[in-house]
Amino acid sequence: MAKLTIDDQVIEVPNGTRLFDACRLARGEDLPHFCYHPDLSVAGVCRLCQVEIEGLPKLTIACNTTVRDGMVVRTRSPRVQQAVKQVLEMHLINHPVDCPICDQAGECGLQDQYMDYGLYESEVAKSDKVLKRKAKIIGPHVILDQERCVLCSRCVRFCEEVTGTGELGIYNRGDRAEIDVAPGVELANNYSLNTVDICPVGALTSRDFRFQKRVWLLRSTPGICPGCATGCNVRLDHAGGRIYRLKPRRNDEVNGPWMCDGGRMTYKDVHADERLIQPLHRREGGLAELPWQQARELFYGLVKPGSVAFAVTDPRQSLEELVLFQRLAGRLVGEAQLAGGVAGEGDAPGDSLLLADDRRPNRRALAWLGLLELPPAALAAALAAARGVLLVYGGDPLAHPDIAAAARRLRIVYLGTHRGATAAAAELVVPLCAWAEKDALWVNRQGRVQRGQRAVAPPGLAREDWRVLVDILAHLGDDPGAADLPALRRVVAQRLQLADADALNLLPATGLVPEVPTVPLQSDAPETAANGGS
Amino acid sequence: MDRPDQVAADLSQAARERIAAIVARYPTRQSALMPSLWVVQDELGWVPPAAVAYLVETLGVTLARVHELLTFYTMFRTEPPARHVLQVCRNISCHIMGARAVIAHLEKRLGIRLGEKTPDGLFALEGVECLGACGQGPVLQLGKHYYENLTPKKADALLEGLRKGAPPRADTDRELEVGS
Amino acid sequence: MSAAACNILSARFGRADGHRLDVYEAEGGYRALRQVLGGMKPAEVVELVKGAGLRGRGGAGFPTGAKWSFVPSAAEDVYFFVNADESEPGTFKDRYLLDYDPHQTIEGAIISAYAVRAKLAFIYIRGEFGWLVDRVERAVTEAYSAGYLGRDILGSGYSLEMIVHKGAGAYICGEETGLINSVTGLKGQPSIKPPFPAVSGFLGRPTIVNNVETVAAVPWIVTHGAQAYRSYGTEKSPGTKLWSVSGPVRNPGVFEIPLGMPFADFFHGQLGGMQDGEEFKACIVGGSSVPVLTAAEIMACTLDYESLQEAGTMLGSGGMIIVPQRADMVELIKVLMHFYWDESCGQCTPCREGTGWLHRIASRLLKGEAVPADLELLEKVCNGMMGLTICPLADAAVMPMRSFLQRFRDEFAARIHETAAPEPVTRWARGE
Repeated sequence: MAKLTIDDQVIEVPNGTRLFDACRLARGEDLPHFCYHPDLSVAGVCRLCQVEIEGLPKLTIACNTTVRDGMVVRTRSPRVQQAVKQVLEMHLINHPVDCPICDQAGECGLQDQYMDYGLYESEVAKSDKVLKRKAKIIGPHVILDQERCVLCSRCVRFCEEVTGTGELGIYNRGDRAEIDVAPGVELANNYSLNTVDICPVGALTSRDFRFQKRVWLLRSTPGICPGCATGCNVRLDHAGGRIYRLKPRRNDEVNGPWMCDGGRMTYKDVHADERLIQPLHRREGGLAELPWQQARELFYGLVKPGSVAFAVTDPRQSLEELVLFQRLAGRLVGEAQLAGGVAGEGDAPGDSLLLADDRRPNRRALAWLGLLELPPAALAAALAAARGVLLVYGGDPLAHPDIAAAARRLRIVYLGTHRGATAAAAELVVPLCAWAEKDALWVNRQGRVQRGQRAVAPPGLAREDWRVLVDILAHLGDDPGAADLPALRRVVAQRLQLADADALNLLPATGLVPEVPTVPLQSDAPETAANGGS
Repeated sequence: MDRPDQVAADLSQAARERIAAIVARYPTRQSALMPSLWVVQDELGWVPPAAVAYLVETLGVTLARVHELLTFYTMFRTEPPARHVLQVCRNISCHIMGARAVIAHLEKRLGIRLGEKTPDGLFALEGVECLGACGQGPVLQLGKHYYENLTPKKADALLEGLRKGAPPRADTDRELEVGS
Repeated sequence: MSAAACNILSARFGRADGHRLDVYEAEGGYRALRQVLGGMKPAEVVELVKGAGLRGRGGAGFPTGAKWSFVPSAAEDVYFFVNADESEPGTFKDRYLLDYDPHQTIEGAIISAYAVRAKLAFIYIRGEFGWLVDRVERAVTEAYSAGYLGRDILGSGYSLEMIVHKGAGAYICGEETGLINSVTGLKGQPSIKPPFPAVSGFLGRPTIVNNVETVAAVPWIVTHGAQAYRSYGTEKSPGTKLWSVSGPVRNPGVFEIPLGMPFADFFHGQLGGMQDGEEFKACIVGGSSVPVLTAAEIMACTLDYESLQEAGTMLGSGGMIIVPQRADMVELIKVLMHFYWDESCGQCTPCREGTGWLHRIASRLLKGEAVPADLELLEKVCNGMMGLTICPLADAAVMPMRSFLQRFRDEFAARIHETAAPEPVTRWARGE
């Protein structure tokens, strides 16, 4: 351990700690900086994190200094403040005053640090500033403004060190230096939007988010990305019931500070035109809207013990929802007539960074619960031989032509979120919540339980899944004792045989990887992701 | 962008072998990049995109990296140069010793300003920084050699000689006696 | 100290045949190498050079032996670089050394590489010295053929490969970590320190970078000994120095004199004073990156590290620029600021933005478009650069700027456009 004094405060940190981090510990906030990033190599080019170290004649940058026992550091002395102010002036000397049209306003490193350390009258005439290229599209997701760039090199280092793709470089010398893609190259790797996250100014911005919303009007809610089985921790930024963008949330056990571009776009699905907003009933060859009370009556007319031939759910449903659905399906059908989903669906090549082959957020939960996914052919065969009601919760199994054909003679009741093939073929449609509209638990490929919170309200008359499922269970004479979410999570903990009944209500910030005894599987079942195969 | 094997036809066998020898000699493939760029430019007069692609493939470096070097170093050319590129020093010592007059004279003679090329592609005039000939200024660089102690008259003799294809001997081009 | 036989470095200057291996050997060349490989340990060579007090001749003046001893003793895979990137305005001595006497530098490099146990040495020559690159490559080939390079040199068991590396036009590659990065195949941008090259440099291995002139002195020190070297120069600045002299003196060129010689003696003696019709106004004594002194100031100095530092400037590279009375100091500063703006690598903000601004303001001054606020802005920009950057290029721009302003302020003040209203700062005030 090393004991050092920072701004008259004595702290003790492990040997080898970076002085930048030690200063954050002592001060409770970061030193001013642009180029330093904990997940990238040290560049030391922005020259803002300068501190005074007793015994050294010159100021030193803290990002490139390791603590030493007995070090005496000053981060707020007049000399340091003067230096920071001077360096900040140099950063701004050629910076275009774009704030009124720049998306970064409100979350901009230059703005923030100017307010903290600068607050001077600029003496620089705008006509003197170096002109560079503005609004250059450099990839499917990213747009570049070279004038705003402070050449911190974070984006270049990201593409070299994290994705290893090296699309970006810094060309020319001196104040002609500019960041750009190599000629003929696009910034098209699946992590390109992380460069927008780490760009401290508005040089790299998101095309998707461009001019959509001022950031100070956004509220943030923590969530879990539904794009694949990695379960990157995200932040949903929304305003007025609409999600505008997703950003990664740091979880060093899962995704670090990054997420993939595909995952970022999953918010769009929440506001798709195909959202189901009202219960629907088939009449005169079409689907007509009807009030919930009527839908409820029709539902219980269709769905009762003996009338349901087959029940299917989907690994896009949450842990609590799967537990409840399995329970209610148990009152309606035997184990052989219950499928966790369509096997192999949503599998696509992943990568060595974050993206999993398994593109479903909750397949591991199926395995925990012993819910099998069936290959399309097997499900089609089962349905072809069935008569009665097909109860579908989530997913879109009838998107498979074989399954759709096999289900032609069944009466379909669909509980879901989007108007897809299954909803179109259904006799009764019940509208429920998308992932961003529910407070729910998800189990990623590590077997980690993570919680996503409700960012926006569902559209129209769509309702919360778990409440509807509990309602159905009650109707079937089963009261699981889930009056509220905490109680529901205790039910789930019990179902999973967790030692602590409240384990799912007291999740650590990075999630929980519990010991879950897996239900033994049917011996003739093919190995799928759902049952623990790879 | 041309395919690497296409440009291999532009680079002579000898040049490609020189590059291979450099790769063998230098400790890493990336460190062979600068000398390899010189091989390309010495042969072709500039570094065409196809040659860049060839080096990207041969040395395993990124396109961004090659372009960083091409834009960072002043001597690498990304366009075909004029036949004779006259690079005149305009730093402090040459300035004191009359570089401006020599430059003005050359501009007048060639009918172009500093930084331009004559329409017939024969001459280009560039202003450069200190060439390391300060005691013999004003000085200009032409190819691998320097013409020093320049005066308008000497400049005229140089242009005349270049036009005829028989330029005066450069001051750095001393008789080299072959070693033992 | 002996001014007479001052040819430790310049013995073969001006000759047409000094570059030849046979000539070099006939005049005692490669004797030092034989002596070293014949029975000296690397650490002994380090001690010898320490004892001689040899200091880096590129500009920093750092004690060479001390620098060599920073290489960790158990180091494997050490690299040695000879810095022939000579681009400091006013400096052209390394060119002379390599042109007239390449083998001296090569021999010095082999001995120095041996001292730090390097296995591979590079000679980095600026790209503009095209003819020199060819010449030095030929000399290196000769050295290989003669058995001075390659495996098991002179049967000593020591092996050294040597590569001549051609630069491509970047002053900043003269900074040692910039040079290392350039050879690595990156832009020649300096690295942040720590780590220091002696511990982690080229490819993360211990690396020593020495200037040509420094290395060229090593063979003589080996054959004559530390005390003989110290018989030249002063106690703190032992040995000799090559001065590159430019400007309208009678005899510009490269001169080797002992350190500590009074400037006045040198000026009137070797340099022959000013040319007819010229008057001595000022002197930039160590390459453009050091503060300028007035003629009166430099006349009072002796030419060594200490005296020049006391006078408020630095010995630097020894690139002595004699400024005549007819010279317009505002014009000269514009020329210099253009240089630093052109050559800034652009990595760190104070230098990248600051060099551009110094040049812009200097240009305005020259055109007569400057306002009084510009002089304050100059000072503000200088303050935002000095001491705050990765490498000293920012300081190198500030020092001439400040010293010119300090010593020739009237010439600058005369360029201020007193009647011009300062341009309104905000776009709204300008009616945009």
